[in-house]
Amino acid sequence: MDVPATVRTALADQPVEGKRCLEAGAGVGNMTAGLLDGGPAAVYAITDDREHAQTVRDRVEGGRVAVFEADLRSMPLRAETIDVVTAHGLFNVVPPPDAERIVSELTRVAAPGAHLVVDDYSPLGEHPIRELFAVENALMELARGEPALTFYAADHLQSLFEGHGWSLERRKTLLDPVPWTESHVQAHLDVAREVAADLPTGTAAPLVERAENLAADIGSVDAGEMYSLAFVR
Amino acid sequence: METRPLGTTGQESTICTFGAIALNWLEQEGADQMVELVLDHGVNHFDVAPAYGDAERKLAPKLGQYREDIFLGCKTMERDYDGAREKLEQSLERLDVETIDLYQIHGLEYEHELDEITDDEGALAAFRDARDEGLIEHIGLTSHGNPELVRDAIDRIDDLESLMFPLNPVVSGKDGSEYDYDAVLERAQAADIGTLGIKAFAKGPWPPTDELPADQRPYANWYQPVDTQAEIDDRFDFAASQGLSSVVSPGDPKLVKMVLDAADQFEPMADPQQRSLIERSRHDESPVPEQLHH
Repeated sequence: MDVPATVRTALADQPVEGKRCLEAGAGVGNMTAGLLDGGPAAVYAITDDREHAQTVRDRVEGGRVAVFEADLRSMPLRAETIDVVTAHGLFNVVPPPDAERIVSELTRVAAPGAHLVVDDYSPLGEHPIRELFAVENALMELARGEPALTFYAADHLQSLFEGHGWSLERRKTLLDPVPWTESHVQAHLDVAREVAADLPTGTAAPLVERAENLAADIGSVDAGEMYSLAFVR
Repeated sequence: METRPLGTTGQESTICTFGAIALNWLEQEGADQMVELVLDHGVNHFDVAPAYGDAERKLAPKLGQYREDIFLGCKTMERDYDGAREKLEQSLERLDVETIDLYQIHGLEYEHELDEITDDEGALAAFRDARDEGLIEHIGLTSHGNPELVRDAIDRIDDLESLMFPLNPVVSGKDGSEYDYDAVLERAQAADIGTLGIKAFAKGPWPPTDELPADQRPYANWYQPVDTQAEIDDRFDFAASQGLSSVVSPGDPKLVKMVLDAADQFEPMADPQQRSLIERSRHDESPVPEQLHH
């Protein structure tokens, strides 16, 4: 499978070969593919989403990947065993109360001298897609008591990791602008609809309608920045 | 318009090369207008081929008028000596010129073709004789075939001075060796061979003909092109930022003016923006389940 340019760029200066790697929040497996391409000793791909776990298993083959369905706040990995930790597009789906616990857990499993790559999106300015994300968040807050998306400033995540003993090595811009394509917009609309199913119709219907109108208006849009932070412990 | 050296040819080509296949779709009057427009933009490198319908004949009148302003590239799909010689003479006659500045092997696709053209009785022997006679000045090669084969050609043709091959964000986003034209560019640059980028404006294949019959396609290109000024600007900036000597304009005449404007306003594209283009086409082309991220 093709390794996205974002992943290649984020890993370009990372020592993956022969190392034990952890992808925290595996998504559809883009970073897992990138780590595998670098010739690691092993890759642990962790996600709490069953569908994502299956997608990653389907997309990457071979004996060097272990896909775990697990909670990043409490991972089934021994302390100080991982050489390269990656969180590629993870934190934007981590609600703020969980961020500290995940940082703490990623730090626990990292070996002394470990490397860490954190890639995510800068907060969006005034773009129509910000409103779509706001409606998605409103539905998620109402249904589950937490936001679907939080765009952390790079400085914020940097402070969080530095507070746990990591030193920043570099900051790169992966994407500027970020291309939110029709398939992304549709995927976010799908999340909004899915969450709405758990709410009373009177509450959900106007929000879903708003999300649908926004998605139709947006189509696809370029907005914001995706950054990459690299740390060493 | 910015110019760049075309390898060792001594030619400084504009960063946009006019793909004269566009003339094939125009009446003579329209073809003359288009050539004037292209020259008004300062373009000094034209590329044509006998395979492009009437393009050679339609280029001829204006070529006669502006011959010294134009570095003329032409090509042949013949692989043997006699065939190549015949096609060269035919092009000289149709174009009504004494000399072709750059004569290229057109559309190298298979290993056996490389064996044929490099043979003693092959097309390259005819090219070299023609060069000795002053009928052509420089030798080039074009291909959208296997990048590995193109790299072999660089190794096997000592006097190769230009290469024409595809380069765009869709191709750059793919990992397989069959898409690795970046490696071709790198090798060509190391060997000081001029590089001409084609398919810079290709978006993807046309829909299947049962959805969109071939005669209803809005553009004459055999692929679906990007067709807004903003997209064309991005695609031009991307291609020219890879370090190509020049980017060839697309085959449909409706797109040429937008490409000329893009070339006039070329700005080197920063890496994060190049990756944005690569990402966009990656997601457009191969949606996998629930793509929330990049």
